[in-house]
Amino acid sequence: MTTTVEPLPRETSVPGQTGSAAFDVLRVPLLGRFLRWRWSRVTLQVPVLLLSLVMIGHAFWGPQLAPKNLAALLTWVHFRGLVVLAILVGGNLFCMACPFMLPRELARRWINPRWEWPRGLRNKWLSIGLFVFVLFAYELFDLWGDPWWTGVLIVVYFAAAVVVDSLFRRASFCKYVCPVGQFNFLSSTMAPLELAVRDHGICVGCHTKDCIRGRRPLATGSEGTPDSARLPVLQRGCELALFQPRKVGNLDCTFCFDCVYACPHDNVGILTRLPGDELSQGGTRSGIGRISRRFDFTALATVFTFGALLNAFAMISPVYAVEQWVAEITGLRVEWPILAGLFSLALILEPTILLGAAAAVTRGLAGAPASVLQIINHFARSLVPLGFGIWLAHYGFHFFTGFLTVVPVAQNAALRSFGSPILGDPQWHFGGLPEAIVFPIELGFLMLGLVGSWIVSWSLAGELAPERTGSAFTPWAVLHALLFGVAVWIMTQPMDMRGTMLGG
Amino acid sequence: MRCVSHLATCVSWLIVCAAVATAGCSPPTSTAPGVQVDLTVAPSPPVVGDADVTLTLKDANGSPLADAVVSLEGNMNHAGMKPSFAELHEGEPGRYAGKLEFTMGGDWFILVTAKTSDGQIVERKIDVPGVQAE
Repeated sequence: MTTTVEPLPRETSVPGQTGSAAFDVLRVPLLGRFLRWRWSRVTLQVPVLLLSLVMIGHAFWGPQLAPKNLAALLTWVHFRGLVVLAILVGGNLFCMACPFMLPRELARRWINPRWEWPRGLRNKWLSIGLFVFVLFAYELFDLWGDPWWTGVLIVVYFAAAVVVDSLFRRASFCKYVCPVGQFNFLSSTMAPLELAVRDHGICVGCHTKDCIRGRRPLATGSEGTPDSARLPVLQRGCELALFQPRKVGNLDCTFCFDCVYACPHDNVGILTRLPGDELSQGGTRSGIGRISRRFDFTALATVFTFGALLNAFAMISPVYAVEQWVAEITGLRVEWPILAGLFSLALILEPTILLGAAAAVTRGLAGAPASVLQIINHFARSLVPLGFGIWLAHYGFHFFTGFLTVVPVAQNAALRSFGSPILGDPQWHFGGLPEAIVFPIELGFLMLGLVGSWIVSWSLAGELAPERTGSAFTPWAVLHALLFGVAVWIMTQPMDMRGTMLGG
Repeated sequence: MRCVSHLATCVSWLIVCAAVATAGCSPPTSTAPGVQVDLTVAPSPPVVGDADVTLTLKDANGSPLADAVVSLEGNMNHAGMKPSFAELHEGEPGRYAGKLEFTMGGDWFILVTAKTSDGQIVERKIDVPGVQAE
């Protein structure tokens, strides 16, 4: 990963252009002061790390019954639900408090990574593969019901973060490997907050570019000179190659606050913005390039959205009927090839047909002077709001219906560990909201996603075919409505979680 | 640097404490391995709603174990669901019956706890796969 600091474009030199009217969380008394503090991120990470250690301990040495195990419960119910809800109301708060980064930071005190991330892997393909692998393993090995393997997954995650970032410079793990990170990056395009420059005019006059280069001690009189470049970094700049004045939105932003800590002009804030607006913005983005020219982002948005449907579909009865039917006609008696077939159908064949058809119709109706693939790349972003809505509905269902179950599980863990009810006797009647209340919330999330996808695709249609916006918009609106309908149908089905597919 | 070293030390201790806390102090439970426990659920296959549950308890010689206090706890195999509880009542000696609610379709397991008249605690986990949603 190389970072070049280019001159700012003329239009960004207008003082106060960005964020002048936006609310800035960093201006909030106490909270803003805390967040600007150099150790604020670590302060948020430590409790999550401690919780992760408890989860690992309970995964391996606690009861191997998922409903009574903190690792299974917190990973598959609370963590997933809180991640998407936090993004909905704030931003990428999980990456901000990511516990996997603390051991990595410790390791980097002793290990200085030598290599740049391989050029051929500077894209999203590896992380897309890992994202699909996690979804596949989740279904195949019934991870939701297996505390031990859930613990293994958490430990492997810690190890992978340490190993990758001990070998490779900057935040290679976050940017190119972490599947949770990619999920959060895409989801946080729908967040109402972003780390952004307060006043671009100040950036125009800035010569040190600490937000990307980092801050080093003075060497031969001025910062940023060749001599000072060899000195140790006092405060690093963005490790994900996002140069603040050219950064657009939340893609690839881990909310690590390095830019906030590094900026000598206190010119980076947490600003409010219109959720999803960044999806309709064209142009080149720092550290990313043009999204419309990156097929890996198209694939990521596609897997994100169709994976949401697949992950939810796997929770209801019809999936077992489908799998049983496939097993009968093929004679297969093992699950993985059938599951692999379903994944291929849902994540490759179905999107190829649907997106290809929508793009072909768009080309025909709007007369857009672009290839089908170019049109797909142009509109793929519009899937993200709906995909996020489906994840919200799915994970929100589990969280809202079961958020209080952590109380008796924690009480039981304390009782079994210490032999006395130090947290009280387990209150097993604690659950969550009734499904009758949660269902309208799910529908609301899905409808928000649909409206978001329509707004983004309208904007993208206008960019592609200014004279025939409606014609370019219609095929994608129909596609979104179709996916919305499927999602609503899935959410109306009674949940049916089985660990055994064939004959189960 | 000193701060980081302290943090590393704290983390190491916490790993040890977490392992000890979650493993080392669990009280042993007797599961009376010689006792035979048979559970039947009706309807079969089970469906969402109240199910009729019948449990027979026999000692190692096959003789019915009467006058036991039997309770059931039904859980789904995934986290985030409230368990269902049932107390079973003895009809004929060694045969206990009651109702247990399956609140959702999917794989369940039932934790059986029986305290026999001679004070033995019998614990079993019995899988009930494929409770049908409708």
